[in-house]
Amino acid sequence: MERLTAVTVDFDTSHLLFPGIITVVLLLLGVMILIQERKRIAASGAYWQAIFTRMDKLRFFGTLAATLLYFCAMVPVGDIWPNTGLGFLICSVFYVFLVGMLFLHQRNRRSVIPVVLTALIAPTLVWWLFTELFYLTLP
Amino acid sequence: MEFFDLISPLFVALVFAGTVVGIVFGAVPGMTATMAVAVCLPLTYSLGLANGLALLLGLYVGGISGGLVPAILLGIPGTPSSITTTLDGHPMSQRGEGETALRIGIIASLVGGLISLLILYLFAPTLADFAIRFSYVEKFLIILFALTVMAALSSNLLIGIFSGFLGIFISLIGTYDVSNGGNGEYRLIPPGTEYWLDSGFSLLPVLIGLFGLAAILEEAEVGVPEGQKADDIKHDQQRKFSLSIFKGQLTNLTRSSCIGTFVGILPGVGGSAASILAYSNAKTFSRHPERFGKGEPAGVMASESGNNGLTGGALVPLLSLGIPGDSTTALLIGAFTLQGIQVGPLFIGNNPSVWNAMIFAMLLANIFMFVVMYFAIRQVARIVTVPKQILFPVILMMCVIGAYTINYGIMFDVWTLLLFGLFGWLAIKLRLEIAPFIIGFILGPSAEVYFVKSLESFGDLSIFFTKSWIAVLLWVLIVASVTGSVLLSRRHARDNGAD
Repeated sequence: MERLTAVTVDFDTSHLLFPGIITVVLLLLGVMILIQERKRIAASGAYWQAIFTRMDKLRFFGTLAATLLYFCAMVPVGDIWPNTGLGFLICSVFYVFLVGMLFLHQRNRRSVIPVVLTALIAPTLVWWLFTELFYLTLP
Repeated sequence: MEFFDLISPLFVALVFAGTVVGIVFGAVPGMTATMAVAVCLPLTYSLGLANGLALLLGLYVGGISGGLVPAILLGIPGTPSSITTTLDGHPMSQRGEGETALRIGIIASLVGGLISLLILYLFAPTLADFAIRFSYVEKFLIILFALTVMAALSSNLLIGIFSGFLGIFISLIGTYDVSNGGNGEYRLIPPGTEYWLDSGFSLLPVLIGLFGLAAILEEAEVGVPEGQKADDIKHDQQRKFSLSIFKGQLTNLTRSSCIGTFVGILPGVGGSAASILAYSNAKTFSRHPERFGKGEPAGVMASESGNNGLTGGALVPLLSLGIPGDSTTALLIGAFTLQGIQVGPLFIGNNPSVWNAMIFAMLLANIFMFVVMYFAIRQVARIVTVPKQILFPVILMMCVIGAYTINYGIMFDVWTLLLFGLFGWLAIKLRLEIAPFIIGFILGPSAEVYFVKSLESFGDLSIFFTKSWIAVLLWVLIVASVTGSVLLSRRHARDNGAD
């Protein structure tokens, strides 16, 4: 019995031991889930179709696109004025405004003004707090 | 540093600010205490451990408590932990007793918070003293137990366990850390990404993505529903509030607070389970169970003392074993990591003043929560009308700054945030369980070290069963939690079939 449970761990390959066990467990659990949830998995096409039909595509994909653009632009813009955090500040102003507008239901003067003010004030405040008070590097 | 050196006007001000901001997060439907802590975590970089924890604990208590406001006034739980508050709180509001229901909920929250704090203060050091004696074997089994308990309480046991193991799997990406006795070799890294994934994914961008970005994507998916108008909120027109409404409810309050605390001690179980369990017990033991769900004050008391009971309870496993009690306390690990402190059995003994400061911060947060919500009840009620188009973009920006500054300016962490934000949204759609995933992700590297080192030391798998009576007890608990869950799900399936 002792021989059956005896294990020797080779230090050189020890980094693969635990991930290997976890991978096997995940595969086993995956198969069990596939069997248990087979009916639901078979009907998943309709499930995802329903999600995409109900989805507010403009707001969902708009948020994703704006976020992607925000992340991509921050460093190049920041490189124009290095070590100032202005890349973060400038991109954040546009991003907060864009997402705020995207989330608005009625875009009239009365509802847009708070969005504009937030887009100007919030990033500036955060930028000042982190760069001037906390001395942290921003892009 | 002595306890009194840590307590300063800034410390008190941070607890107060945290509590108020937490109440706002809790009161806006779609925003949670976890999100509040995730978003404000970067603010703690320059505050030091005690002051940082003061802010975060205030956010935690405020966030859990604020959820009762929309639950009662609008019938929409502000946080998942307020689900059962809607059942009786909203009917009370509809019959013109909204303020009364709010005051009941606020007092019950205070009672729940204080009882759980007392249990935390008494129980955590004892458990930590006991846990110091644990070897790698027992530590590994505790993590396994934590994962099975979480999975057992998931809506689907298999998916719960899968989610936990997936979290462990993703946490293992990167180098097998030499400082933990590893060999410094890469594993699970796709070719070409070694530069970025050398240390794997950072904890905080993952957490911020899962709890910040994913929640906002969920809201965007449904079109970011408009907030309520101030006119929608009904205020009480009649008599003054009297504490006599609590007459005969001491047992209910104590029981519900203790249930909440106990649920909090179980790793990874959220406030919703605490309030549901407390509520169903209050209903079972009530002389008038038929009144529950129709505006019974005892229901609000049970729900709110239950979910606030969670706050102290969830800190017990965190501070004594290093295992987070819920997703919000998982984020608190991030605050400790930022300050270079590892939580675990040695934490309280090695940092008595920080421990006392945490208890004091929790006490202050509960008192501030009560004072702010009770005496500014009409102003607090207006929080539910705060427009999301103002809040959400700012939260997204705070998520980005949190992810970017965690490792002092690494853009890959920002992309991690986006990756895990999307994963979080997808996980909800796929019905994966986020809580076990997070706990798996946090504890995965420790589980690996404990497992591999146990085998290296003893060279035999049977050591996990024979090391000590604690190991045997933990196996009994693991088997019991899995068996219990299987039996429960079969009963549910049978009941559903019978219906």
